[in-house]
Amino acid sequence: MRLGFIGFGTMGEPMAGHLLRAGHRLAVWSRRAASVEALLAQGAVWCDSPAAVAAASEIVGTNVTGSSDVEELAAGLAPGFAAGGIHVDFSTIAPATARRIAAMYSRRGVDFVDAPVSGGGTGARNASLAIMWGGKAALAERLQPVFGALGKTVVHVGEAGAGQVAKACNQMVMVAAIEACAEAARLAAGAGVDFAKVREAMLGGSAGSRVLDVFGGRMAARDFAAGVEARLHHKDYALLMDEATRLGVPLPVSAAVWQQLNALMGRELGRTDTSSLLRVLEAGDGSGTR
Amino acid sequence: MNVGFIGLGLMGRPMALHLERAGHALHLWARRPESLAPFAAVNAKTHASPAEVARQAEVVIVMVADAPDVEKVCLGADGLAAGAKAGLVVVDMSTINPNAARCIGQRLAEKGIEFVDAPVSGGETGAINAALTIMVGGKPEAFEKVKPLLEKMGKSVTLIGDSGAGQVAKACNQILTGVGVLAVAEAFNFAAKSGVDAAKVREALLGGFAYSKILENHGQRMLDRNFKPGFKAWMHQKDLRIVMEEAHRMGLMLPSAAATAQVFNAIVGSGMGENDSISALMLLEKMSTPEGE
Repeated sequence: MRLGFIGFGTMGEPMAGHLLRAGHRLAVWSRRAASVEALLAQGAVWCDSPAAVAAASEIVGTNVTGSSDVEELAAGLAPGFAAGGIHVDFSTIAPATARRIAAMYSRRGVDFVDAPVSGGGTGARNASLAIMWGGKAALAERLQPVFGALGKTVVHVGEAGAGQVAKACNQMVMVAAIEACAEAARLAAGAGVDFAKVREAMLGGSAGSRVLDVFGGRMAARDFAAGVEARLHHKDYALLMDEATRLGVPLPVSAAVWQQLNALMGRELGRTDTSSLLRVLEAGDGSGTR
Repeated sequence: MNVGFIGLGLMGRPMALHLERAGHALHLWARRPESLAPFAAVNAKTHASPAEVARQAEVVIVMVADAPDVEKVCLGADGLAAGAKAGLVVVDMSTINPNAARCIGQRLAEKGIEFVDAPVSGGETGAINAALTIMVGGKPEAFEKVKPLLEKMGKSVTLIGDSGAGQVAKACNQILTGVGVLAVAEAFNFAAKSGVDAAKVREALLGGFAYSKILENHGQRMLDRNFKPGFKAWMHQKDLRIVMEEAHRMGLMLPSAAATAQVFNAIVGSGMGENDSISALMLLEKMSTPEGE
């Protein structure tokens, strides 16, 4: 299949590699040409603009940072697409933006699919991402070769924007769980009990979870190097809390977690892992480093 | 003075009428023509666009809902900037994001127009009684020029600092009033569910350290179960959204304001957005009542 890809960060780079190795022809463009050198060596084809990538592809995947990045990129891709083309965006953006981009494309006979992922850099490297997508259900068959090469769990959630709603829910549940782990670690330490042991015991019981395993493990080891940079979770919280305001939906726990993330950012820990929420708690009770 | 006024809603209408009674000539534009009806019999001219208003005025006052509206009135097609005479001062009395105010101010300054942010506190009652609290951000010279006008609408007019500072003060005001209204609602619900007369509790507390205007005024309205808006809940929700956006941008922890904002989400989501903010009490009552009652 003729595919295109733009956005070669921690997630996008390995994802594009999987598409190449699955035997697809891959057209690429990047603002920083250096970021695609490894892919070009593996056979990816350089294009001079997003429009050229779209012109060379049946499906273009993108993975960038913010809502405005995606919107800008879509404006660049749009004139290049032949009718029937598909833009699959893997970024995490506002559901409303995803719907707006989809409407812009539909006037041109091009489909837009919002397909945010969960699983982090590890999931991207192991092609084991959870992919939650929104868009026309009828596109599922054409998207299968792409999704199948990148993820293990692929769920069509609903119409345009629905993937982003699912991702917002995912971030909400996940970061609240990270905060709960941090609070458990703090309570255990405050009581003079080894959190590593507490975690080990909990993993076998009803409170066992992926978050307790992965993020709880990092807290126990005091390894705050970024698996997921906390600033990205912080960014996602602005999106989901804004959506809650727009819809008139109260999210009391998420609002509290958001404030812990704000404090984390204020303490300039945004480029460390979200397990640094533990360090925010420590700062608040005098047991922290400053 | 020739004064432009744009935004003749619940707040703007009485504010503009105070200026007219003080002898100023009003120049008006309204998105909805029916907003102009109360001005038919007074010294006020209506115009076809904000640009037309700007052509006739030395000062233009804007009192609209949110930042995009302010931006459109000031900088949109046929906006104030398109008709401004040299030395025009635009006074934005809406409540908007401080950062947005700074941006709009800067863009107007590039066109030689002074911009002053002057959000208000005091609600419709304050507007009608010319008793508003007005918090101003902008250059001292511009402030001095518009101060006599502001004093016709408010009792307390304070220059807080540079562009955006008025909006920062308003955001602080909304943290205190939002959290304050919710605190009174929680206390009254707590008293009532404990089988104690909330009116007696209020009366006792008014003499102590928990005294506040909110306990006195909003508290009385809660006891009277008068949920008619002085200040609509959806507007408080909007203002808290601004507060929380700024907290996010700066990396600030505002746990009480964040929790309060969620209660306002619930008030609006359950269809009480057009009521007064004190509907927080009804929400709390509903949420602590067994299902089906």
